Amino acid sequence: MPVFETTQKMYEVLGNLFKHLANHPDSGPKFREAGIDIHFSITDPEGDIWLTRAGDVICGKLDLKATVEMSLSGDSCHQFWMKELSLPIALAKGKIKAKGPMGKILKLLPILKPAYEAYPDIARNHGIGVS
Amino acid sequence: MSYLELNIDLTDEQNAIKIQAHKFAAEILRPAGLELDKISDPEDVIKSTVYWSAMKKAYELGYHNTLMPDSYGGLGLDPLDIHLVFEELGWGSADLALSIGVACFPAFFASMLPNDILEQNIIYPYCQNTDATFVGCWAITEPNHGTDQLCPKTEVFHDPSIKGQLRARLDGDQWVINGQKSAWVSNGPVATHALAYLSLDPAMGLAGGGICIIPLNASGVSKGRALNKMGQRALPQGEIYFDDVRVPHDYMLVDQESYETMVDLTLATANAAMGAVFTGAARAAYEEALKYSKERIQGGKALFEHQIIKHKLFNMFMKIEAARALSRAAMIYNYNNTPPSIQYSIASKVFCTNTAFEVSNEALQMFGGYGLSKEYTIEKIFRDTRAALIEDGVNDSLMLIGAHSL
Ligand SMILES: Cc1cc2nc3c(=O)[nH]c(=O)nc-3n(C[C@H](O)[C@H](O)[C@H](O)COP(=O)(O)OP(=O)(O)OC[C@H]3O[C@@H](n4cnc5c(N)ncnc54)[C@H](O)[C@@H]3O)c2cc1C
Repeated sequence: MPVFETTQKMYEVLGNLFKHLANHPDSGPKFREAGIDIHFSITDPEGDIWLTRAGDVICGKLDLKATVEMSLSGDSCHQFWMKELSLPIALAKGKIKAKGPMGKILKLLPILKPAYEAYPDIARNHGIGVS
Repeated sequence: MSYLELNIDLTDEQNAIKIQAHKFAAEILRPAGLELDKISDPEDVIKSTVYWSAMKKAYELGYHNTLMPDSYGGLGLDPLDIHLVFEELGWGSADLALSIGVACFPAFFASMLPNDILEQNIIYPYCQNTDATFVGCWAITEPNHGTDQLCPKTEVFHDPSIKGQLRARLDGDQWVINGQKSAWVSNGPVATHALAYLSLDPAMGLAGGGICIIPLNASGVSKGRALNKMGQRALPQGEIYFDDVRVPHDYMLVDQESYETMVDLTLATANAAMGAVFTGAARAAYEEALKYSKERIQGGKALFEHQIIKHKLFNMFMKIEAARALSRAAMIYNYNNTPPSIQYSIASKVFCTNTAFEVSNEALQMFGGYGLSKEYTIEKIFRDTRAALIEDGVNDSLMLIGAHSL
């Protein structure tokens, strides 16, 4: 059974997470300055989440060319934000594929910090079991 | 000398990046490389103000940050921009280009796996450094394991009878490191930090490795003499020994679970950069030959006016254009896709270094006896490009590794 039982549930949890990031006093402005459109292309459950350069979070299809595209499963998403899946291990196990200039992907990593901190609570608030 | 830019989509900013890098290569790297090449004892190269002035200028201008993301103060360049820079630096002096290029390895890998300690101790201090007092190296090959260390995803890599010569074991919250790396570690003699590829679980063979940042001022680190070699003499190389060296737990970036994938990614990144640098070196050799062919008179006319010479020059020109096209494409693809497709980086490295050697060999021939004289730049480029056929993996062996992905 996937961590996110439905696409809707996944949109609620991850959508909230990215909204938290976009509104974060430190990371929000940094993200907008970075001028990057990220597309998470998710399987199991199927879904698309966008975090646009304007700081908008959009769940669903969007006719936009992403700067960075991350392809991964819903479970890998959950593990990644829980810090249970590091990038090298995700790559080693073929769990994440990233498309986009390496420099831009590396630039994102420090900006994502508040999302790691916020995720366990957000997941818990949506009834996702978090150890 | 510049070349006709075939990419009609190059932006003004990219053109400016290319022009600036060329200026630095022509004014700083070329003269420094030629001067350092003449120093007979490589120990004197690493003490030379010529080497350090060139490195400091590179740091001042930010070229040590070519691969670093701008969130940490790096240049934040796109893959094509990176290629433009590396080609020009390679045109200036391939050895110094590589010394500058490899300097970022510890900080660059730390930026892939950032944590507070790495940001504070490694990433920011490196990016903010402007006087070349933070210099990195990539310590992977060992006296007994050269090609062996660079063949991820092959049987050899998983052979438990092949054991690495640099081991790390965990003791509380520190790693304790013992062993040595080969005399070929680029920047070894001048580096302040190593990105060390070492053995964590010898039962897994070389695949049981880890990637660790080791500050080289740590107690128990010692270095061998700077290596005396045929080419790339401005690139300091030498052994590093580790005797009960202790580093914080957080400095181990990767363990055996993902080591092989990260070696693959490292080789794909480094080989793509080699393709760009040696496209530049090939171009440098060609330009020397073209200029000389228009000056030297034999048979009553300039060499260039002889049909066989024109034919050879055109052959060089074609090969360099092909090298640039392949190395740009491989870098753009592989620096845009994680995990990368290593076969394209290897194809780029092998093709471009072979091209650089073939072109510099033909160019030297065109100089006749003068080509053998140290008075002429081509003599150095020839030796530098010869070394490139072995550097970052022997070309024959790399082709076998690349073939695994076909
Ligand atoms: C200029 C330069 C810069 C370098 N920079 C660095 C650096 O920054 N860091 C670092 O750690 N190392 C560095 N190296 C080391 C370099 O990576 C090695 O020299 C290279 O990988 C080859 O290893 P080796 O010299 O031990 O040769 P070997 O591995 O001993 O190979 C000897 C010959 O045997 C062939 N061979 C090996 N294995 C096989 C096989 N399985 N089947 C068939 N043939 C085989 C090879 O193709 C080669 O022709 C550098 C080397 C040079 C020349």
